[in-house]
Amino acid sequence: MLRSFLDYYRATILRQTEGLDAVQLATPLPPTTMTLGGVLKHLTWVESWWFRRVLNGLPEPAWVGDGFAADPDWEWTSAKDDTWELLVSRYREVVAECDAILDAALATPEGLDLLAQRPRHGSYASVRWILVHLVEEYARHAGHADLIREAIDGRTDL
Amino acid sequence: MATQRTDPPLAASEVDTLRAYLAYHRDTMRRKTEGLDQAQLSQVHPPSTLTLGGLLKHAALNDDWWFCRVFEGRETEPDWVPAGAFDEDEDWELSSARDDSPAELRRIFDETAAAADAAIDRALAKDGLDTLSVTPSRREGTPFSLRWIILHMIEEYARHNGHADMLREAVDGQVGE
Repeated sequence: MLRSFLDYYRATILRQTEGLDAVQLATPLPPTTMTLGGVLKHLTWVESWWFRRVLNGLPEPAWVGDGFAADPDWEWTSAKDDTWELLVSRYREVVAECDAILDAALATPEGLDLLAQRPRHGSYASVRWILVHLVEEYARHAGHADLIREAIDGRTDL
Repeated sequence: MATQRTDPPLAASEVDTLRAYLAYHRDTMRRKTEGLDQAQLSQVHPPSTLTLGGLLKHAALNDDWWFCRVFEGRETEPDWVPAGAFDEDEDWELSSARDDSPAELRRIFDETAAAADAAIDRALAKDGLDTLSVTPSRREGTPFSLRWIILHMIEEYARHNGHADMLREAVDGQVGE
């Protein structure tokens, strides 16, 4: 059930960002500086962070590079330099990798109670916590995307 | 901010994890709407017609709908909904909030959340998260488990808190999780 809610929001964020050109994907709804391209790249990084880096203890993926060295909001601000095709293809690759990590975690005897390899504030999150967290993180950003998208072309309920 | 909020425990049982996230998002909505007057709670961020006051009333309606009406089967509207309100305006809870004082909106929100929590408590004392709703899904004809309803309410609250993030920043510049 947790995975089906996560998959629902993965599909939602793609619906909210598709059919737009590069300028629209880089258009904020002031006063916030968030953009739809930024939301998509942020969630790509969020998936990678929780499954690759926290759950499995792996380093940042190659596509991140040293982006965060100069800009703590790198994934948000750099999205304007990526095409929609690149943003989506990278997103799909990262989601596939994260699903494989999740499959392996859920196949362990601990399942949803399996603890992450990297601590958060000194404690270790369970796979269950990570999944519920991702659902609510996606949903909150989908809320941001709702208002940004409506301002761009009037589309709602995507 | 007056409302204290607790981060959900990192490694807890299913029921404790779900309830902690539901509480977290209710508290987040309280924080996003705190310290504002009636005009600020009624302010829109065009082209959206949503308001922070409307979100409070909508969240209360959702808590009442899912936990008291669908899950426990109560057939009547809550006492704060006037007879026939939705016949004239299907978005009544969103549009009527501008006529309510901040204190009234918070009272509706808090009392409904408490009633929803009491419904959860009653179910957990019996069959836990597998307890099925009295009212079935209109689309599929099958009942909802309490597990599904709580998870749905977490994502529903979270999405509306995303709206609230945008609205609050536009009202007075305040941001944050």
